[in-house]
Amino acid sequence: MIGFLHPWVLAGLAAAAIPILLHLLARREPPTVMFPAVRYLVSTTREHQRRLKLQNWLLLFLRTMLIATLVMAAAGPTAPMSGVPGHVPSALVLIIDNSPSSGTMAGGSPILANLVTAARSVLARATPDDALWLVAADEIPRRGDAAGLGELLDDLAVSPRRLQLGRAISLAGEVLASEKRPGEIVVLTDLQATALSPAEPRAPLLIGRPTTPPPPNTGIGRIETGTQPWSSGGGRISVVLVGDSAGSVPVSARFGDRPPRQALGRVGGSVVLTLPGVPPGWWTLTTALDPDEFRHDDRRVGAVRVAPVARVRWDSTSRFLAAASEVLASNGRILPGREISLGRLAQGASVVQPPNDPAQLGALNRALAARGVRWSYGNLSTDLAFTDSGAVVGRQRVVRRYPLQSAGSGRTGVLATVSGAPWIVRDGSVILLGSRLDPAWTDLPTSAGFMPFMDMLLNRLARGEAALGQGTPGDPVPLPDLVTAVRQGEQEWRVEGGGMFQPPDAGVFYLLAGRDTVGAISVNPDPRESRLTRASDAQARQLWNGARLESLRDVADDAFSSASRGDLRGPLLWLALIAGLAEMGLASGWRRRV
Amino acid sequence: MRSGRARLDLLDPLEVSKLGGLELITEGVVEGFLSGLHRSPRRGFSVEFAEHRMYQPGDELRYVDWKILGRNDRLYVKQFEEETNLRAMIVFDTSRSMAWTGSPATVLPKLAYSQRLIAALALVLIRQRDATGLITFDDDVRSVMPPRARLSHWRQLLGTLAAVEGGQGTAAEPALKRVVRQLRRRGLVVFVSDLLLDQSLALKALRFLRHRGHQVLVLHIMDPAEVALGGPNEARFEDPESRTAVIIRPRDWAGAYRDTVRAVVSEWRLACRRHGIVYQRVTTDTPYGVVLRAALTPPSRSA
Repeated sequence: MIGFLHPWVLAGLAAAAIPILLHLLARREPPTVMFPAVRYLVSTTREHQRRLKLQNWLLLFLRTMLIATLVMAAAGPTAPMSGVPGHVPSALVLIIDNSPSSGTMAGGSPILANLVTAARSVLARATPDDALWLVAADEIPRRGDAAGLGELLDDLAVSPRRLQLGRAISLAGEVLASEKRPGEIVVLTDLQATALSPAEPRAPLLIGRPTTPPPPNTGIGRIETGTQPWSSGGGRISVVLVGDSAGSVPVSARFGDRPPRQALGRVGGSVVLTLPGVPPGWWTLTTALDPDEFRHDDRRVGAVRVAPVARVRWDSTSRFLAAASEVLASNGRILPGREISLGRLAQGASVVQPPNDPAQLGALNRALAARGVRWSYGNLSTDLAFTDSGAVVGRQRVVRRYPLQSAGSGRTGVLATVSGAPWIVRDGSVILLGSRLDPAWTDLPTSAGFMPFMDMLLNRLARGEAALGQGTPGDPVPLPDLVTAVRQGEQEWRVEGGGMFQPPDAGVFYLLAGRDTVGAISVNPDPRESRLTRASDAQARQLWNGARLESLRDVADDAFSSASRGDLRGPLLWLALIAGLAEMGLASGWRRRV
Repeated sequence: MRSGRARLDLLDPLEVSKLGGLELITEGVVEGFLSGLHRSPRRGFSVEFAEHRMYQPGDELRYVDWKILGRNDRLYVKQFEEETNLRAMIVFDTSRSMAWTGSPATVLPKLAYSQRLIAALALVLIRQRDATGLITFDDDVRSVMPPRARLSHWRQLLGTLAAVEGGQGTAAEPALKRVVRQLRRRGLVVFVSDLLLDQSLALKALRFLRHRGHQVLVLHIMDPAEVALGGPNEARFEDPESRTAVIIRPRDWAGAYRDTVRAVVSEWRLACRRHGIVYQRVTTDTPYGVVLRAALTPPSRSA
């Protein structure tokens, strides 16, 4: 397919019609000259008429071709051509996969070092006329010349962010969409199978990947800390191992300042560790493996809340609330007491559910207002709806509910929603439930998540705390409404409750409401990074139509070769020259002959 | 002509035409022409004495009457009856194509040039006591003046010539046949035309005249622009007579056209020579004297 560097110049092809127009115009009105010896002219031209016609058509063709070839040459035509040294000015997006798996050691150096070397080789083939972009795991296209992008490569390190290759290829296609030069996408990656995702490359796609197989790897995929908060007596954790190694590996877990605990585990299984008790508070739990070739997944962190169980006085007339409370009490997750009132509005912290009798709703709203609560119950709604999945409650069916109406500043304090409308809200020490915890109102009391929900509701939410969150580096995490700041170690970010927070790195990020710590987000690498198994070339070609795969060593030789588009300006100019000379020769030679 | 004055017969015809009327310049041309000859162009003298006349430059010295020279110290030549026996008929093509010139500013139209040439030729002949007549034609015979040898006849001939204008098409055959009626004895036929006519018919008629024993002289009048093609970059060339037109670029065709003209002239010359007809190509920028000399010199001496 022939492409053009300056396609707008092709508008000049209209000039190719000039010889034809001149010919037609000239034919239209030649001046008349009286000439008695016309018979001599007639006999003269009769002999040459046939040749003259052929000559005229040939001259017309040559002149039209001359203009057309000059215009096309000015438009900078290029065509795919193999074996052409150098290349025409091109636009190239270089995607370098510095996701965590690129930190895998291979041959004494991380794979990323090999990717960077290959990237430098590709950039070395670039010319000043090329447009170059570099895209790394942060998925930000950075434009620059070869030297500038080389400096970026100098500073490139293994990113904690995962790179979805399909998304990056689509992004590169968008970058090239506005570019008039022939484009090409070069992806330098370890071609981790889990990183592949479908994409429609909008430009020739060249993949550079290592040819040596990846090392076996074991990583920590998940830490399960059970129901929180923990008591001061300690707790049990379950460490899930992922990867593609077959052997057993020792797993250690450090909790606070206590000595680490260790156990052996295998990929695909989980290791249960009992951790010693610590004083009440927020604690960081760190699990680790012995170092292997891929260090990034050898350590995983989590946040643990240690606090005494809540002392609850529950409404015994509400059957499901009473049953749940008794189960929690029998398991030691709550104690009878007056710290929290469950079911009815009372002094101190209260979890309030709407009354069965609508006639009592007015009195409840007035009592709430008297407590200074800025939320109230609206009119009963019996429309079928579902809760929006979240950290507090999963997806549950709701058939009866009182819409919760805020008299304050909008949605502050919303903990769970139904079809986007507040369903569980908190204002100060009062939590309002939009539906009664009864199967006639919602499926939640009969679901498996009911007991964990009640545990969290009483031990954490009613105490003003938020749900514990999980995240991966770079991916935005939604923040609870009451959060005003996020802190990691000495670093603190001011945030707006209800907004999003993008953790820059792995670690535990504590959520602050004023001076109180109300929750935490445990940020760890995506466990899919631990599977280092590479995709086959066939899989890559299946997902990315027309992709060419090369070793990292050879990829530079093929770069710009898809765009190994030969510059057609030279041949066209030669053609124009030949057409011009032929025209001159034909015209003058013919005149001489005539 | 007296010495010290330019000879009109050797001047540019256009310049000559500016000097005066047809009669005046014709006499000037003839005077110049005759003064340049070493002997009279035609013999035509016989033993039967007719009269004396003043010697004119070019007369043969053997006809000078020495007795009169001895008595009166004046030069007279003797003329004989035979001198007037020559009867000449000039056949003049006055078709529309003859009224054309390629360059009005520098060259006379073929018709005007021919008028002056014919007038001069007739004067030369009449002065030699040769009876001279004139037939004009275009697509038909337009006027006929029987041959006479008197000088007054020449003036009548001038009047006829002066009245000639560019006519219609060209048909020479009737005019040439008409000559037969006018020249019952052997005589001289001068055919003045641009020869843009039916060549086969014209040649047939000329051959017939030749067959009747007449001496035939063809003066092929051509404008210089008809010899060398010129004009705008591209033009529609139209024949004023037939309205035939052709669109060409003169620059492209000049060479081929030149070859065609050369071939046509060569064809006429060969055809005429084959039948004993004297053919002379004349371009309208040629001084009259040159043409008269070529036309009135016996065929063996012509080019």
